[in-house]
Amino acid sequence: MFATDDSIVAIATPPGRGGIGVVRISGAGARGIAGVMLARPALEPRRATYTRVRVDEVVATYFPAPHSYTGEDVIEISAHGSPVVLRAIVQQAIDAGARLAEPGEFTLRAFLNGTRDLIQAEAVGDLIAAATPLQARVAFDQLDGTLTRRIRDIDAELFEVITRLEASLDFPDEGYHFIEPAETARCIGAVVGSVDALLAEARRGRMIREGATVVIAGRTNVGKSSVFNVLAGSDRAIVTPVPGTTRDLLTEQVDVDGLALTVVDTAGWRATTDLVEREGVARANQARGVADLVLLVLDQSEPLTPEDGQLLQDTASHTRLIVANKCDLPGRLKSAPTTGTVMEAGAVVGATSVVGTTSVAGATSVVRTTSVVGADFSRPISVSAKTGAGFDDLRRAIVCALTGGESLKDSVAISNTRHVALLVDARESLLSAQRAADAGATPEEFVLTDLQAARARFDDLVGTRTSEDVLRHIFERFCIGK
Amino acid sequence: MSRFDVIVIGAGHAGVEAAYAAARLGCSVGLCTMSRDTVAHMPCNPAIGGTAKGHLVREIDALGGLMGRAIDATGLQFKLLNRSRGPAVWSPRAQADKRLYAAWVREAIDREPNITWLVGKAGRVLVEHGRITGLAMEDGDRHDCAALIVTTGTFLNGLIHIGDEQHPAGRHGEPPSRELADSIKSFGFETGRLKTGTPPRLHRESIDFDGAVRAGAFAEECGDAVPVPFSFDTTEAPRNQIRCWLLHTTDRVREIVRANLARSPLYNGRIQGIGPRYCPSLEDKIMRFPDRERHQIYLEPEGLDVDEIYVNGFSMSLPRAVQEALVRALPGLEQASMIRPGYAVEYDFVQPTELKSTLQTQRIDGLFFAGQINGTSGYEEAAAQGLVAGINAARAIRDEAPFTLARDEAYIGILVDDLVTRGCLEPYRMFTSRAEHRLLLRIDNADLRLTPLGREAGLVDDRRWTRFAARRARHERNQRTLDTTRAGVLLRRPGIRLRDLLDRGELALDLEPSSGDLEVATLENDVKYAGYLKQETLRAQRLRKQERRRIPDDFAFARVPGLSREAVQRLSQVRPETLGQASRIPGMTPAAVAVLGVFLDRPLTPLTPPAPLTPPASN
Ligand SMILES: Cc1cc2nc3c(=O)[nH]c(=O)nc-3n(C[C@H](O)[C@H](O)[C@H](O)COP(=O)(O)OP(=O)(O)OC[C@H]3O[C@@H](n4cnc5c(N)ncnc54)[C@H](O)[C@@H]3O)c2cc1C
Ligand SMILES: Nc1nc2c(ncn2[C@@H]2O[C@H](COP(=O)(O)OP(=O)(O)O)[C@@H](O)[C@H]2O)c(=O)[nH]1
Ligand SMILES: [Mg+2]
Repeated sequence: MFATDDSIVAIATPPGRGGIGVVRISGAGARGIAGVMLARPALEPRRATYTRVRVDEVVATYFPAPHSYTGEDVIEISAHGSPVVLRAIVQQAIDAGARLAEPGEFTLRAFLNGTRDLIQAEAVGDLIAAATPLQARVAFDQLDGTLTRRIRDIDAELFEVITRLEASLDFPDEGYHFIEPAETARCIGAVVGSVDALLAEARRGRMIREGATVVIAGRTNVGKSSVFNVLAGSDRAIVTPVPGTTRDLLTEQVDVDGLALTVVDTAGWRATTDLVEREGVARANQARGVADLVLLVLDQSEPLTPEDGQLLQDTASHTRLIVANKCDLPGRLKSAPTTGTVMEAGAVVGATSVVGTTSVAGATSVVRTTSVVGADFSRPISVSAKTGAGFDDLRRAIVCALTGGESLKDSVAISNTRHVALLVDARESLLSAQRAADAGATPEEFVLTDLQAARARFDDLVGTRTSEDVLRHIFERFCIGK
Repeated sequence: MSRFDVIVIGAGHAGVEAAYAAARLGCSVGLCTMSRDTVAHMPCNPAIGGTAKGHLVREIDALGGLMGRAIDATGLQFKLLNRSRGPAVWSPRAQADKRLYAAWVREAIDREPNITWLVGKAGRVLVEHGRITGLAMEDGDRHDCAALIVTTGTFLNGLIHIGDEQHPAGRHGEPPSRELADSIKSFGFETGRLKTGTPPRLHRESIDFDGAVRAGAFAEECGDAVPVPFSFDTTEAPRNQIRCWLLHTTDRVREIVRANLARSPLYNGRIQGIGPRYCPSLEDKIMRFPDRERHQIYLEPEGLDVDEIYVNGFSMSLPRAVQEALVRALPGLEQASMIRPGYAVEYDFVQPTELKSTLQTQRIDGLFFAGQINGTSGYEEAAAQGLVAGINAARAIRDEAPFTLARDEAYIGILVDDLVTRGCLEPYRMFTSRAEHRLLLRIDNADLRLTPLGREAGLVDDRRWTRFAARRARHERNQRTLDTTRAGVLLRRPGIRLRDLLDRGELALDLEPSSGDLEVATLENDVKYAGYLKQETLRAQRLRKQERRRIPDDFAFARVPGLSREAVQRLSQVRPETLGQASRIPGMTPAAVAVLGVFLDRPLTPLTPPAPLTPPASN
């Protein structure tokens, strides 16, 4: 897998039938192999050439090293997108001396040949896996080096402080003041600020990259399944007037304004003796536990029941939205004496969402998402699953609640949990250094150990220093031909 | 014609440590020098130590070497640099009486029954079947040996520049080594050319120091009130016996340098060798840092009753008359007269990537290089290498395992590792910032870190070992006292000083008076910065596994798939001994290191058999 002295070949387009399909060959021998395969072997660099292979007419393009995806000589052959044709072309390349590429091997070669750093290599994986345009854009930005650049900028800032501190230690007799203690703390503070700015995007970035789970909760018959169906745009959940129809969990992947959401419909909550249904209720509770967001559905055509009250309490610690369904019917929720509970519970929700803690891969960051603009979680959102009224508002509210209210149109540099965890680590070290420098009593050498530790994290991030295990893990995630 | 286990060429700072160590380990040693008058000579500043260099001396001493004891016995003014900073960057520095220092070392060598002086000029290195067999002197004498340590400093094809004058010389007044240079080069070692320089020396009598101090031209520089010795073996605190003086360059100095730049071999292209960036010549200071209005100059006596005054910070290679004018342009030196002008010297060095961590060459068994020949500069760097080479030469002869120190164990380890993995593009000097685990590598714990290793290697005698054992026990007792008493808890608070607690009798510790309060400081810092120290220890442990993963001697880098041709070439040349070393080779990408790591545990599928290395021609 780590060999780069042979040439590799694979189908680069998705499996299945397509308008066209691309076969990619990379390696020092790529040109020679293409020469054997193609009817017109002389290819001009970076020019699409119309020619033939044994089984099809194709367009071949030659990307000479090092200005190719892998940093090696690359030949791309576009043929008609039949799997049979493409496989035959691959076979022809193998016959001519190429080897079938292993998963991720093209990107691995790009990394080994230094045309991409670790962040970019990971981003290729993300880009390929992207399910929403937003995911694709974030991945593309990283591929483009946006994150790398930002880390390098921060690192350069940090490096400046480090050098000046080191200089004052190694050249004490020079009569220079390389850096004053107060300035040290200020400079470190600035670096922390830059890291924070990056981390502030992390929650949003993670949502975009990894999506979120939205669980629909509520007592039976308030219209959960109906809401689910509207959100999912399908009739997957069985909707009946008989309470307790949905006994299991139903999930659907939905793209809401660019966010990849897994929406989960649950069994309604009611004291039940039915075994199957009880199991369903248990699962519903479980699902709520892992939810990024809970949609608590109430039936606004009826007064609040004790079960509603119970659920309002149970979900109060969650990030949640209260959905008042059946707004096409006369509202009786408002006139109910228990409305106050809704408002109160809502207020609590609002508070918990504003100061969210993002927990990633065991590292808990204390990132405060910036204040939520235009989001008022305390107010129930009126919808009608029957008419579709209010669902635009609901979608907006869902996105807002999940992303901390920031526009998804803004660029996000960071989305990968590995990156976030390393940044959080770096931040800890920086803060510790800043505290020490601020107090003024701790000698520079101690401040420096923390600063060096932070710098090592940046190195880990960009991949200038990483263990082979991390690498293996990253490259194993790829599928063939990318 | 005589036979030795080990022959050392050169009795500079590297040579004497190498000879002494090998002799103490029971080898018969021939110490070859052109003259017994230049043993352990200081051709440049009359001082030992300084930031990071002071650490090296403490480590040399902890391992049983000479340098620490020599400077304690003959130093004239002692200072602990960075005293206002943390304990890890405290570095001792001392002005030496250069004659007494050399005499002390020569006597120490004379007392070693295993060392024989070979006075004369070494000419050719004798090799058979890739192994050292002996040394041929220029006068035709031959001496057999199993190991040869070359420590010839700046002498290989040395060329001195003073203005337009050029003359071949190893250093002032001493002939260069050409035949030896040719002999070494004939084995195909990669060599390069470096340059260093030294300032003019002034007549002490021509300077009115007190008058200049009164006039405000000089500021007096005194030693520490409580001098800290270099050696763990020194029981009597050294005394300060001299003053030095600080002054600053003037606008006139700048003008003279600028006006005469074309006459400086550094600036008119005559000097090809690369000089140390951290020790710039006056020409460089003025031209490269035009914004800096003035530069510091120190006047340092070269001995108690020597005439020479060393003008620290004023090294240059301008013509003699210009140097004279420059000296007199300094405030307070208007009447000064010059004994000797400063000069620059160019010399050949061998790329230390040719060496293993034992400082033995990869090409020839039994051949070792140590000191400035390896591209370093400085007495301390040279001495440290001499010690490592001496120990390893003795061990190699007996087929014993190499003696190497890791980067988290000693600055000496860092020095050797940097040299053999990275090579030199400019003269190499030690800095504390080269240490990844600086907090652990302190001057106060150098003995705790290294004396047990020195003992194991056989360099620490019984007397010294007993003393060390007592010191370690005392130290541990003191630590326990601090751990278990209220005073220890109190000490954690900022602003509470251990010295005060001791003085007020709130706490009693068992302290060594001659340590110059270093022990107090150590104990205090261990308490105050316990968190940092623990963290650093953990960090070092975590890295150690990866760092020390061994690469077999015969590992075929060429057969690791995925390594670029340049990487293979670099790896095969440097022959890193661990994965950690591989990662530090310049130009090695993290990807290449990762790939190497993967294939360290896997059998390599033979591709094409690697071309056999051409065996070196033997002389
Ligand atoms: C002009 C000058 C300026 C310097 N400036 C600085 C400075 O600014 N900062 C700094 O850190 N260091 C400086 N140094 C370097 C410092 O002096 C050396 O790094 C250190 O002394 C090197 O020690 P060594 O043992 O390697 O070699 P040396 O101390 O040079 O010893 C070499 C020995 O080898 C002997 N020798 C050489 N050839 C032969 C032969 N063929 N046969 C027998 N014996 C031989 C010589 O007689 C000598 O005794 C300077 C050196 C010089 C000469
Ligand atoms: N009028 C009206 N009826 C609704 C609406 N949403 C759901 N219903 C009806 O309410 C009943 C229960 O719906 P269902 O989605 O199965 O509720 P669940 O038990 O919470 O999943 C069904 O008869 C639905 O047709 C709505 O918005 N307006
Ligand atoms: Mg249902």
